[in-house]
Amino acid sequence: MLLGLVLATTISCGSGNESDKKEIDKEIIDPNSSLNTNFDGKIFSIPSPMQTAMLLQEVNAPFSEDLLNPIENVDGYSSEMQKALNLGVYGTDLGYLSIYKQNSLALQYLSTIEKLTTSLGLEGAFDKNFMSRFEKNSTNKDSMMVIVSDAFKKADNYLKTNDRKTTSALILVGGWIESLYLACQINNENNNEKILERIGEQTETLNSIIEILEAYNKGHKFDELITDMKDLKSYFADIKITYDFVQPKTDRQKKLTILQHRTKVEIETNTLNFINQKINSIRDKITS
Amino acid sequence: MKKLILLLVAIGGMSFAASAQDCDALVKECEKILKGKQGNFVSDGQVYTALLDREKAEFKTTFFGGSTYRIACTAGTDDTYVIFTVKDLQGNVLFSNKNYKNSAYWDFKVPKTIPVLVETELDLDKKVTGCAVMMIGFKR
Repeated sequence: MLLGLVLATTISCGSGNESDKKEIDKEIIDPNSSLNTNFDGKIFSIPSPMQTAMLLQEVNAPFSEDLLNPIENVDGYSSEMQKALNLGVYGTDLGYLSIYKQNSLALQYLSTIEKLTTSLGLEGAFDKNFMSRFEKNSTNKDSMMVIVSDAFKKADNYLKTNDRKTTSALILVGGWIESLYLACQINNENNNEKILERIGEQTETLNSIIEILEAYNKGHKFDELITDMKDLKSYFADIKITYDFVQPKTDRQKKLTILQHRTKVEIETNTLNFINQKINSIRDKITS
Repeated sequence: MKKLILLLVAIGGMSFAASAQDCDALVKECEKILKGKQGNFVSDGQVYTALLDREKAEFKTTFFGGSTYRIACTAGTDDTYVIFTVKDLQGNVLFSNKNYKNSAYWDFKVPKTIPVLVETELDLDKKVTGCAVMMIGFKR
């Protein structure tokens, strides 16, 4: 029976043609078998840090080079954890530079990213083709966003299929930390309602970040980072978010659903100050 | 008996390799669906992959206000194998593609930010087990 099960699974994982349909009887598969589990484990999703950078530009926040992680820091990152976290940080910085059309700086950050990806064995995602596409399109922010996102997606897929999900997770975590840091710093200087809201709207993502770190915390390597993130979460808990469900409207022809809910985010100044201090401290620890 | 166990391990290994190849091909297909004809969606930089049978895979994400998102999915050459449902965190269903012939993609205009739960499963009338790939993009 076990042989049958293994064969059934092998057949079912074929090339995805028409013969895939109803290829095995539902009853043949034992729902308790480990072969039937979701092989990717728990799925996590972290919104693209590029969207925070887009918001910063939309509200006309001035560009600030001083906020970026200096490229000289890259030589000090020796462990896989430091490299992966800072690949996420530099990736967010590259997105920020691309959106603000800082082409010359973007190319310098690209070289820094290339150093880290080579060191992490991710040359396939940031290969010569990527570098050449980026250079050719370095005056078009939309194209640059697509090229950078595609490269990070390629790296994410490579890491996940090669059982390096921890590295993939750390890149996402680093990218998120940098995007929250940028939002907080720019809000300090510009005091913008939309940026403030966006900071408050990170509560659920922060929960996912903590879940990711806990899921991959083999050998307790992430204990300190998890503690820091939980401290940050304690400040986010003071943010008031109200939500009222309203039935969305769907347009079948356009394959589009327009959400209609109402929501409000309220953050007190004290809470914002604590979040600022904490994210600065976390970001300092991982970048310095 | 030892030979049988070794055979099972070898076949099991082949099965995993086949599933990885299967998923890899689907990633490319899903990219095409995400980008669409106009190519105006930017990936969130992640690939969501699961080997599904009768279970659901689910994850939380946040849709930020002022954006239009696309969810794209595939589990084979027939683009209607996957059912996906988007709920708010109170459990209210915001959308399910099973009401729209299991459409391989759907767009969401999001005026105000909302954390959502995305549930994915195979349409068991069409496919009972296999790799499913999902991607999320936002409009440029």
